[in-house]
Amino acid sequence: MASAVFHQAIGTLLSHQHLHNSGFHQEFGNVSVNLISKGFKVYTGLSISRKGGYSSGKRNFSVVQGSASQTSVVDPLSTPSNDSKNGFQKKSSEAALILIRHGESLWNEKNLFTGCVDVPLTKKGVEEAIEAGKRISNIPVDMIYTSSLIRAQMTAMLAMTQHRRRKVPIIMHNESEQARAWSQIFSEDTMRQSIPVITAWQLNERMYGELQGLNKQETADRFGKEKVHEWRRSYDIPPPNGESLEMCAERAVAYFKDQIEPQLCSGKHVMIAAHGNSLRSIIMYLDKLTSQEVISLELSTGIPMLYIFKEGRFIRKGSPAGPTEAGVYAYTRFINFTNASGSI
Amino acid sequence: MDAGTLHNQIGAVQLHICSNDSGFLRKFRNSSLQCISKGFALDVKLLSKGICNSKHGKVRVTYTSLCHASVVDPALRTSLSANDYNQKPSIESSLILIRHGESLWNEKNLFTGCVDVPLTKRGIEEAIEAGKRISNIPVDIIYTSALIRAQMTAMLAMTQHRRKKVPIITHDESEQAKAWSQIFSDETNKQSIPVITAWQLNERMYGELQGLNKKETAERYGKEKVHDWRRSYDIPPPNGESLEMCSQRAVAYFREKIEPQLQSGKNVMVAAHGNSLRSIIMYLDKLTSQEVINLELSTGVPLLYIYKDTKFIKRGSPVGPTEAGVYAYTKG
Repeated sequence: MASAVFHQAIGTLLSHQHLHNSGFHQEFGNVSVNLISKGFKVYTGLSISRKGGYSSGKRNFSVVQGSASQTSVVDPLSTPSNDSKNGFQKKSSEAALILIRHGESLWNEKNLFTGCVDVPLTKKGVEEAIEAGKRISNIPVDMIYTSSLIRAQMTAMLAMTQHRRRKVPIIMHNESEQARAWSQIFSEDTMRQSIPVITAWQLNERMYGELQGLNKQETADRFGKEKVHEWRRSYDIPPPNGESLEMCAERAVAYFKDQIEPQLCSGKHVMIAAHGNSLRSIIMYLDKLTSQEVISLELSTGIPMLYIFKEGRFIRKGSPAGPTEAGVYAYTRFINFTNASGSI
Repeated sequence: MDAGTLHNQIGAVQLHICSNDSGFLRKFRNSSLQCISKGFALDVKLLSKGICNSKHGKVRVTYTSLCHASVVDPALRTSLSANDYNQKPSIESSLILIRHGESLWNEKNLFTGCVDVPLTKRGIEEAIEAGKRISNIPVDIIYTSALIRAQMTAMLAMTQHRRKKVPIITHDESEQAKAWSQIFSDETNKQSIPVITAWQLNERMYGELQGLNKKETAERYGKEKVHDWRRSYDIPPPNGESLEMCSQRAVAYFREKIEPQLQSGKNVMVAAHGNSLRSIIMYLDKLTSQEVINLELSTGVPLLYIYKDTKFIKRGSPVGPTEAGVYAYTKG
């Protein structure tokens, strides 16, 4: 364990008590953890892979920590212990970033290439969204970004029906002057209780060009398995008239940096509900992955991922209340991510 | 029941027939009912006398209290038989109207109008429930408003649909949106149900009341003024729409875009809001402004109309609850 690593940030966020749970402190050996109450709880099924393990049997105490946890452990020397009393350090703003990949769509079920065709969720996809919502029900959300496709929007709205806070998501409209004028809210109080939802095509799934609507088997028969594999799994080879993953990443990450990151910088907690390729593009940016690594990255559907944004950095926190075997990325079962304890 | 009314068509549509069941025919006294198989079954409770006894096998009849319009004159019966059509069968298409269920601001008792507020858990259940009721009614094209609560209602309802066609939301807000959403397989296109979103089907725009608490507004402006705005036909709230204004754009859209689809035989579903739907019903049923003001539509309970020969025949609520009237009125 990198107990010598100096870092002022905390991975743990707590809303009520247990700040002085010294039992917890002991489990991390000589490292103490400074707890900042941020008004919310984070739950996670943690797969901590190091010694000085963590027992999730600790009541009411949730720690969010990833296998790259060295960045989130506080150097014992720098911990101002009296800060944990008022529980809030104003100078470093910390914001939560939740990423949710939508669940099963009607074309997934039929095994058709979907891309940017606006296909809705199946019953299963609806359930996955609700399930995802339960996992993040205690994580604060100030703003929501989704793609312009209904399956991501529905996922966000369904997930938020499970949210414990009583703020109401409101979809922003500015496709025309009239749309903007007509959707106006005339009560300050109501506005304060609203969570703006911004839809952006830049968060859409990778556009699959002339493969959209084609049956995967047929396409393999027509173009050959290898070509199709290239289009699907390479970084920079686009299908005919479509986007490569690189092209998708370009517009998704640009949007993220332009529009979403400033929100996080100002302390707003953000949720993004989007698609496999737009999300892995963003994760590539957040985790500084190589193109090789991003190609191998598979994101589970309906399992939210949490990052903490702090001082310009993104700290991966894994999956809130994830299943015990999930790695930090909530990988699908087949991919074994690097995990020292082999907990997958 | 008006047995003397001559009318060429039938309100009853059946899939698995037992039209030779004379017991059934007798029940309609002197009127006979001709059944045309249109490739789909409608499950509807019969609300009139001359009730179809469903024990008679698989006869399902859709009927309303306005059934005189759909009974064939017995004199005509002999010259028409199911096998012996001299004239082309006239085009019949179904029109389903669904009002979305509870939204998060309904729950909080705030004026919503065109603010894009999503459904509550309950609203979601209502949508799924509505879907079960229409799971056997064919749908070729769907129209919704530009607001998520209506769109979600349509998509959730369709997850219950028995046919395996897939609703696909069409995008034409920009050239790119259109190009990016293109489908490249004819076969897949044939299995798709286009979903068209239109602001003209939006809820009535409530102007400066949007987001306000109903009680507060009453306190601020006075109960009467608020009642005027909410329940009159032509008095708009400040910078908002009156019901009349809402009707104007909703009905215009319906006539321009939706009716032609029905005319061409397409089965249509419209998922929208209280005011845009009652506006449309005002047109379908030729209601007066007084009647439309008193019309309350239940949420999540679909309404079915059959469109035939440019006429709209009200069919009530598919598999509706026994006490519901044709309009699936709210209990109050």
